Amino acid sequence: MSPSAVFRPITRRRALAALTGVLTTAALAACGLSSSATEEPADSDGPLVIGMSLPLTGPVADRSKPGLEGYQYWAEEVNAKGGLLGRQVELKVLDDGFDQETAVSGYNKLISQDKVDLLLGTFSSVLNLSVAPIAERYKYLYVEPSGGADEIFARNFHYLFFAQPATSEALPNEFLDQVAKMPAADRPKTVALVQQEDPVTKQTAAIFKEKLAALGVKTVHDSTYAPDTSNFDTIANSIKQAAPELVVSGAVAGDGIALIRAFQKVKFTPKMLYQSNSPTDPTFASSIGAANTEAIFTPLAYSAAAPYAGNSEFVAGYTKKFGAAPSEDAANSYSAGQILAAAVTAVGKLDQPAMADWLHKNTVNTIVGPLSWDAAGRSQGSLLLGQFQAGKLEIVSPAAAATVQKLVYSKPGWN
Amino acid sequence: MTFLLQTLILGALVGGVYALMSSGFTLTFGVMRIINLAHPAMLVLSAYLTWWLWRRTGVDPLLAGVGICVIMYGVGWLLYRAVISRVQRIDPELTLVASFGVAVAAGGIMAFIWGTEVRTATPSYFNTSYEVGSLLIPRAQLFACAGALLLLGALYALLHGTFLGRGIRACATNRDGAALVGIDVDRMMAQTFAIGAATTGFGGAALSVLYQFVPDSHFVWIGRVLCVVILGGLGSFAGVGLGALVLGIGEALTASYFDVRWATAVPYVLIIAILVIRPQGLIRRRLRTDGALP
Repeated sequence: MSPSAVFRPITRRRALAALTGVLTTAALAACGLSSSATEEPADSDGPLVIGMSLPLTGPVADRSKPGLEGYQYWAEEVNAKGGLLGRQVELKVLDDGFDQETAVSGYNKLISQDKVDLLLGTFSSVLNLSVAPIAERYKYLYVEPSGGADEIFARNFHYLFFAQPATSEALPNEFLDQVAKMPAADRPKTVALVQQEDPVTKQTAAIFKEKLAALGVKTVHDSTYAPDTSNFDTIANSIKQAAPELVVSGAVAGDGIALIRAFQKVKFTPKMLYQSNSPTDPTFASSIGAANTEAIFTPLAYSAAAPYAGNSEFVAGYTKKFGAAPSEDAANSYSAGQILAAAVTAVGKLDQPAMADWLHKNTVNTIVGPLSWDAAGRSQGSLLLGQFQAGKLEIVSPAAAATVQKLVYSKPGWN
Repeated sequence: MTFLLQTLILGALVGGVYALMSSGFTLTFGVMRIINLAHPAMLVLSAYLTWWLWRRTGVDPLLAGVGICVIMYGVGWLLYRAVISRVQRIDPELTLVASFGVAVAAGGIMAFIWGTEVRTATPSYFNTSYEVGSLLIPRAQLFACAGALLLLGALYALLHGTFLGRGIRACATNRDGAALVGIDVDRMMAQTFAIGAATTGFGGAALSVLYQFVPDSHFVWIGRVLCVVILGGLGSFAGVGLGALVLGIGEALTASYFDVRWATAVPYVLIIAILVIRPQGLIRRRLRTDGALP
């Protein structure tokens, strides 16, 4: 390499070469990572195209893969029964890499350029917060499988519907009820709130703080960490220092697993541990040690054991197709599909305002239970409370859906 | 006081891991002037290989890391011959783009092979600690840190005690001069790149035990690796050690005494601060030749 080679001025040819390199890379990445269907514009005789953009790559890719599979399973099932309005259903799936801007431009493209017939929602409150207004502006029915933060519904959108039994507002209820039911002497006296920076976890942490205080539980630690945090040892050490009896961990994905591993390293076992999302991750038990799951509480939007119509068939069929039982995310997409199909079938044509009106007035039976919505799209059901007991995630509340009668109140030490 | 000491210990141990992850990066830059953005992707690849081997055979992940170093040496050599050297001939600056392209493609390939689930290796010691008085020293971190020191020592010995090392250092000092005295510069470049890649073998093994990872995790690590080497001075080994320590302890203190939310901003704040105050890095002396560097 001669020194002069290094000092060549930037010519148009070199700039072009650099640009070509970047574009080729981007194109290669796009080819490898997105799985869009055909490029033909939708027409009334061909398949009925349903568009969506999901975070298939990036930090929550592990959660959206089963989410996509839930959609795919739903579409196949619909097609096997003759499709919607007599047309086969086709999914057009874009990847947004968990980036708000990309998700917004993805849905914009699906609606205005690809002219898809219907939409289905993306995952997480972060993405839905910015995507829901797009659907609203174009007057497209938008059923979202996740994203329960109240910020999303506070804008009173007409076309937005939540496919889980209840929004984040109701998330802490079942657990708070259990704490309230405990004899005052057994009830934890102190709590540490630790959550990822996220619309849902921040909202639920505020509710926990207020309602636990009303029950006489004092907050001794309250911290919020950034989504790209990977070192949890110091956070765990700070919580240990505060010595709370109850830890409420507002986790979003794998972060909850990392926090528990850090608790183990700094030798801190809270008397009670409540954590969102991470405990339903298929790798949760293997990542923290199977024996260490004992007595951990988690809210559930879905249970494979719940006795709702169609649920056992869904669990059996999904397990057969994908080789693993459906996760909460898979079930939530499937029920989003069920809601969309119910609206389309009831209205009898692709009339988006009529479909939204119909959903506001009716109840839809889904695998997560019968769902109805308020004027802003908040679902009106209640979530389940799960607890790990002897290596199994059991439902402990509400009583109607419970798989065990007894709760474990005192968490054993780490193994 | 115990709390402060405990925070410092946790921070320093994390710093050791950061040093391990950044050493190959600084070697590649110091000798070849290549900013290899695929370096963190190689770390994640090593983490996957370690995890896969551990799952299959039950072999200790950190020990397996030594073997993974050999595999990564081969991967590095191939990458240099197939992509980097060719692109470098067109324009040295294009290696930045090419290595980023390799990183993105590698993320996709890893997702294809191993899926997008969160992975982590859990040998018996993954969640246990030594107790020294009232202080706790996490075993996995300690082993990874010790491994990092050994690896950095081995790299130092290689560069200063062998003919290959002298050749590499000659190329780092003056490539044309090295060619003039009969050193095969192209071969040295390939060796340097391959050795840089080999260090990710153990770094990735440590990552697989200490953290959870997904195919795209390298986007998180690129910020930290860049911070460590810029902080210490690009191309300096002692700088890597110091930069890593400053970053590890800085993150730990920020999380413990200021606000947890700001801990992940520490690398970027440090990068900006060092570029403004001491652009050559903490350790590196400003050389007369700096003005002539590309």
